[in-house]
This record gives sequence, C-alpha cells and structure tokens, in this order.
Amino acid sequence: MNRLNYVGNPRIQNVEGAEKVTGRAHYVGDISVPEMLIAKVLRSPHPHARIVELDTSPTLKVPGVKSAITHADFVDHGRFGWPVKDAYVLAYRKVRHVGEPIVAIAAESEAAAQAGLEAIVVRYEALPVISDMKRALDPESPPIPETSPTGRHNLCNTHLLRNSEPDPLLAHTEEADGTPVVFQATYSLPHQEHAYLETEGALAIPEPDGGVTIYANNQSPHINRDNAASVLGLTADQVRVIQPPVGGAFGGKDDILYQSTAQVAKLALLTGRPVRLILTRPESMVASYKRQAMQIYLKLGATPAGQLKAAKAELLVDSGAYASMTPLASWRATMHAAGPYRYEAVHVDTQAVYTNNGYSGAFRGFGNTQAGTAIELAVDELAERLEQDPLDFRLRNALRSGDRTLTGDVLNQEVGLIACLEWVRDRSAWTDKRAAYAAQAADIQRPRGIGVACYFHGSGLGGEGVDFATATLKIEEDYSITLTCGLTDYGQGSHTVFALLASETLGVAMERIRVLRPDTQTALDSGPTVASRASIVGGNAIRVTAEKVAKLLNLAAADLLGCGPDRLIRDGEGYVGPTEEPVAFEAVVDRAREIGLQLSAQGRWQVRPIEWDFKQGTGEPYFGYVFGAQVAEVEVNRRTGRTQVLHIWAAHDAGTILYPKGALGQMYGGITQGLGYALSEAFRFENGVPQARDFDRYRIPRATEVPEIEGTYIEFPHPDGPYGAKNLAEPVMIATAPAIANAFYQASGHRVRSLPLPRLKA
Amino acid sequence: MHLTFTLNGETIHLDDIPEDMLLVTLLREKLALTGTKRGCESGACGACSVLVDDRLTRACRTKVADIAEHTVTTIEGIRGTDGGLSDLQQGFLTYGAVQCGFCTPGMLIAAEALLRQNPSPSRTEIRRALNGNLCRCTGYQQIVDAIEAVARERNARQAK
Repeated sequence: MNRLNYVGNPRIQNVEGAEKVTGRAHYVGDISVPEMLIAKVLRSPHPHARIVELDTSPTLKVPGVKSAITHADFVDHGRFGWPVKDAYVLAYRKVRHVGEPIVAIAAESEAAAQAGLEAIVVRYEALPVISDMKRALDPESPPIPETSPTGRHNLCNTHLLRNSEPDPLLAHTEEADGTPVVFQATYSLPHQEHAYLETEGALAIPEPDGGVTIYANNQSPHINRDNAASVLGLTADQVRVIQPPVGGAFGGKDDILYQSTAQVAKLALLTGRPVRLILTRPESMVASYKRQAMQIYLKLGATPAGQLKAAKAELLVDSGAYASMTPLASWRATMHAAGPYRYEAVHVDTQAVYTNNGYSGAFRGFGNTQAGTAIELAVDELAERLEQDPLDFRLRNALRSGDRTLTGDVLNQEVGLIACLEWVRDRSAWTDKRAAYAAQAADIQRPRGIGVACYFHGSGLGGEGVDFATATLKIEEDYSITLTCGLTDYGQGSHTVFALLASETLGVAMERIRVLRPDTQTALDSGPTVASRASIVGGNAIRVTAEKVAKLLNLAAADLLGCGPDRLIRDGEGYVGPTEEPVAFEAVVDRAREIGLQLSAQGRWQVRPIEWDFKQGTGEPYFGYVFGAQVAEVEVNRRTGRTQVLHIWAAHDAGTILYPKGALGQMYGGITQGLGYALSEAFRFENGVPQARDFDRYRIPRATEVPEIEGTYIEFPHPDGPYGAKNLAEPVMIATAPAIANAFYQASGHRVRSLPLPRLKA
Repeated sequence: MHLTFTLNGETIHLDDIPEDMLLVTLLREKLALTGTKRGCESGACGACSVLVDDRLTRACRTKVADIAEHTVTTIEGIRGTDGGLSDLQQGFLTYGAVQCGFCTPGMLIAAEALLRQNPSPSRTEIRRALNGNLCRCTGYQQIVDAIEAVARERNARQAK
C-alpha cells in the first residue's frame, strides 16, 4: 500500500469545526420557521400512579393554544420500543416514572403553552413505588409493566454466560498447586445522567402530501423515522427525518427523541403548522433516561501465586420504568463481567428489573462501564489479599493474543492489553510512586495514592444485532464529492473520519469532500449510531463505496493515458502513466464522463456473522475486542474530604488511528465522564423521585476538576477495520472510575465498593 | 423600553422591549443571533456567555435593561482582522478543541475575556477562567491547549 496521506494525519481538523467556532451551526433550537408553534409537555410528578382523570378540553380554551394531544392520538396508544415494546409516546393509563410525558400541546408562544399546561385537568391515584431492585423481584410487589416481557413479574430480562464449571475451582480443596484464594464482594454502581450540553429537541413541519418533515437531535434518524411512521399511521416515506448538528449524545438521544419527535409530528399534522419542542434543562434531567444502576456480586478465585482461575458474577440491573436499551446493555455487561483476564471457567447470571427509578438506556460504555468498574475494584482487592502489586497482578493475568476470553472464545487478533499496561506503568512512574505513597505517614493532611485499572470492550454491536452501514458517494459537476451515510456525527467526529477515508481511498484532497448530515430521504439506513461503530462499520462502508468509484476513475485514467489500469501511479491527485506527464483529477473525471461512466456509487459493509446462543450462554459475542489501561493519581484532602485527581495516564489499543485529534479528544472526554462517575455524578432517586434537576445538584466535572491527561493510542491494527482501525469512543471511559477509586484506597485506606467516592472528613 | 446598545460593533436601537427580557432571549429571538446557546438557563453552564464591555457575562442571567448603553459582543462578533476566523477560533480547530460544538461559542467568549484580562495565563489560570463553562465532550484539555498556544502567539506578535 502507498504511504497514507489522510489516515492518521495529525493535521486533520474537524470538517464541521468552522461552522461551530463561528456560531453558524444551526442546532434544532436555532431553527425558527414562519408560523412555528411552540410545544410543551405535561409530565408526571409521580413515580408510579394511575391516571384516573385526564381532560384536555380546558387547555384548548386558553388563548393561543392550538392543539393538545394524548396517547389516544396515536396508533396503538403510541406504544413503541425495541427490543421490548413497552413505552408510550404519551402515557397510557399509568405513569411509571417522574417526568413521563402525558399531554403535549402546541401554542402560539411559550407563555401560552405554559398557561395551556396549567389548564389541563389530570388526577392521579398514587401506586406503591418500587425503588429497590430486590423488592422489584418480590412477587408480592406491585407490577410495573403492562405485560412482563419474561412472564415473571417485574423481571425485564435475563442473560447468562457459561464457560466450563467455576464451582470446583472456587471451592476450598487441596489442589496440587495449593488452596485457591477466593475473594467475593458486592459492588454498587449508580445511575448516571448524560448531561449533553444541548437538551433534547425536535421540529416538525407538515408537508402538503400529508407527511411530515422532522429536524431532531436524535442519534439514529432512520429508527426515529420508522418509529414515528408507525405511531402516526404513516408510511416510512411520508416521514422525513433530517439531522441538524447535535450538541452531544453519548447514547442519550434515542428513545426520548422518539417520544419528542412523535409528539411534535402529531401536533404539526393536526395544526397544519410547524411545531418545535425544546426540553428545558430540568425537564431533560428528569425525563431523559440514564445509565443503569447495577449491583454486581463477584466471586474470584486465584492460585496463591496469583494466577486467576475462575469467576462467578451475578448482576442485578435497574432498567427503571421501561426496558429501552437495558436488555442489550445488560447483555454487554454480562459479556464483560469478569474483565480482560484469562480464566479456566466463568459463569455470569444477570437479571434486569423494572423499578420506578426513572428509566435507563444507552450510555457510553453500555453496561461495560458498570461491569468494568466492579471487576477492576474486585481485582484490586484480590491482588491485595495475595500481597501482590495490583499492576503486576493484572500483567500476570491479562489477555494476550491467542488466549481465551471469559466466554471461552479465542482471541485471533493482536492484543494490545499488555502494551497498554506497560505504557501507563512506565509513564506514571508507577513503581516509585506506589512505594512512596505506601510509606506516607498515617496522619498526613493530604495523602496521595496511585491506582490502576484496565478493560476490554467488544467491538460493534456483536450479538446485539445485524451490524451494517451503507454509504453513497457522488462526484459532482464541479469535481467536488458528496458523501452520505445514515450514521450521525453528534460531536464524536465521524463525518471527519468519513471524509478522510474517502480522500484516502480516492486519492483526492479532503477539501473536495462534503459529508451530508443524515436525511432519511437521501442517506441510506445504516442502523443505529451507537456502540462506537460509526468509524468502523460506517468507515468500512465509505471505504468500499469509494473503492468502487476509484476503480472507475482508474479505468478513465488508463484510457486517457493509453495504458492498463495496473500501470497507473498517483502523483498527489494526479494520475501518471508509464510515459506520460501527470493528468489532473479533473481531466480523469471528464474522460470518465466522455466514455459514459457513472461517477457515483453505493456501498454496504457488514460485520461478519457471529453466533451467541442466548439460551445456553455460549458462543462468540463479538468479532473483535479493544483494550486499554489507565493509571490515576489522587490527593485526598482530609480537612474538606474532597478528592482531587492529580493526573491520569491512559493507553488504548484502537488499532490504526484514523483521526488523531479527534481520537485524543474522545479519550480526554471519555476519561472526564469516568472521572465524574467516580467523584460526583451519581444520579439519585429517593423513592423514585429524582434528586437533581440542574447542574448545581448534578455536578459534571469542571475544567479545574479535570487533571492534565497523558494519553496515547497503541496501534495493533484489526484486519476487519478500515485501514486497521478499531473502536474507541466508549471504552476509553471504562477504566477511569475504578483507577481513581483504587488510587483513593491507597491514599485514604478506605476501600470503595460503591460510587461516587465518599467524602472522608477527619 | 427603548434600548440602545452596541452589538458586535454596531449601534442598535430597539423599541418596545420589556425591561425584564433576558439578553439571551433578545439575542436569539429578536435578533436571530443563535450562536449564543441556551444550555441550562440557570447560569450554571456558560453556553450563553457573551462579553458586556470586556466582561464575561451570562446572557441568561442578564436583563436587557442592564446592557443599555453598553457594548455587547457575541460569537457572531468574533472574527479575525481579515474578516476570517479569529486566532482563537483557528486555534480551537488546530488543537481539536471542538466536538459537538454546543459549548464552543461560550468557551471562545470566555477565552477571549481571559486573554483581554491576562495575556499570559498559565494552564491553571486558563482552567480557572473556564470553570463557569461546562463542556461534556472534550474533557477541556484541547481547549486549554488552544488557549495557551494562542496566548503565546499573541505575545510573540506583540514582541515583534
């Protein structure tokens, strides 16, 4: 292969950057169209209640109010949801969490809409609230879902993993290599709020043909379209979803956007006018779904010499009022529950339950953030029991190429985990600091500590679904190139990745490439923009599409230069034949058109099929894995009780790095979300009532709370990724919280089995 | 009320403006300057940051009456001497400081306010100056890198 010009080039900048630094980027809340109505939504103040009276007729008498809708305005009461269809666009009969939408209204102004909300007559009959996961499983507790998806009360779903028999290895029997050391503990991981700076929003414009055009800050426009069409009783081609710039998502802009979109679409169809809904921050905090809280029981066994032998895990997952993505996120948690280590046997059993604690869904890490935190806290405790350095213990047990993962499948790829652990060890001066902090005086005012954690993360959707993407590419009259793909850039930089992959494959300047934001009328369905899959699956779709056009251009260039296509070489954008001077890209395009070639293409790429047997708990869950390790250094202030993170070192094996600036930005951002999860970000429910509604009560990290991060990417290319790339956006956050918690232990002597870290005041 | 103020270098006269109207509403809804974002409307996130005279100000906590006869600069008024990108805007691109972009206008305003006040800030001073501006995507590091580098460039230019 020729030297790469764009892939991995540190000078590449965000292709959407210029419009963002000038304030010209129009997010959905910035789009205002003539005759536009303002929507507002009545939301439940109760965690669990029957709606015994609902009358919207008084609101229609409020001046300026044009329409008010309920569940009755939708097909099948607006029921939606995948993989479990248990949620409603607007509440039907019951409310199951605080913030659940009940009535949506459209009015001439914000003030009229507010007055309209206050005029709605609604009476609730409170039902017992279930906030405790174990209580949810009690057959005597009140049922939350309309129909239990498992047929077992509030049990939403189960998963299992079966790899050999761990019990004999965990039993205290005399073995040839001595009595195994067994460690067990239960870890409690809290809910977390996405806290994207841009709240959820949707604008619907009615079309003359009875259809509707929607601008929504969703992650997955095609799914949003299909869902809206289904609840509105329209065909998919009557609903057009256009993606404006999105102000952050992190997994959080799926289901809640499907609700908001369907609400404004219906209001627009009824009033014949454009309708826009933008959630306020308190509304967003209360109504949006969260990261699942989990209780994770772990039992680990190792030889006295420190060789891990077996693991058992039981996960209890809080889905909240609706299933959303919990059945899938709890599967990913199951597939990672024992961490990136070599075992002879592993069993995992997972139960996800309905409660009235809001509802939970997708969030960066997708279950592995919680599972990865629990196992890394447990491994640290086990290493201590074995009197081994926690980093050495990880190096001894970490997965290497050719090893079997906890599910028993063989890693037929290069594995960069050891390299990551060694990098963070060396860069952080681990050995010296670990020893120095161990020797600190017990009464020191600001003790310090250093801690480590590592992780692995299955690539793409794995057993969660068909993993494909589709792209189109067209060379325009002015020799610019237009790309489309159904996957969204909500800030993670995937459009920059698409542009540079097309440039690399075609051998043309990036300035020629324009990536259109997804529009369901022009971009082809590419599945959801989740699971850190845009660069890999979307990137491969771009690559195969660009290869088709590159081949046509080669034919035209060969024709122009009078040689076979295999004799061509490239000189910048130009083409050179065996004897001729270079010819310009434009001349080649012109020749292609003269000889009748169509310079556009469509391409699809799909992950090779893998098999996971959900009933047996066996198989191959993912086509490949990524790996990483982090070290955190902290200082605990005994006077204030505050923990300050002083420094983080991070190494992630993401294969070939496509877009270095963006990749580092993902790492720093992911680490910062992990830091928040460790220090301040538990989203608490008290008897089902959310305890935070703003950024004063829900503290995300500020600039002074985030340390300088020294990060690197260790490049072990994967043959299936575009130019050898692997995924990175989600996994980079997994090690942060446990590394900080492990450092906190060394500093304070206080073992942590739940997050956030406590404030230890002297 | 009748309102006169300077906005991005132009004198603006407006009639019939409610005194208690918020500056963010005036900018976004009356004047269609949507670069100033609403992130929380409680003064906690800084997405609505603007300069009033040279002072970093939350447009969601400022009544229009308070800016009468003052000078307001929004992101739309930030540009380079050649009319293109300012050095800070270019720096944000060069150092990868932009992801979703929603906090970016407010961050750039906060950075501009800082450099007008302190032309040679340390990284710690930069972080302190950004503490009222939340970013959920970047972890701040590349934003700090960009501001630090631009400060250095400005100082080098001045020294010549």
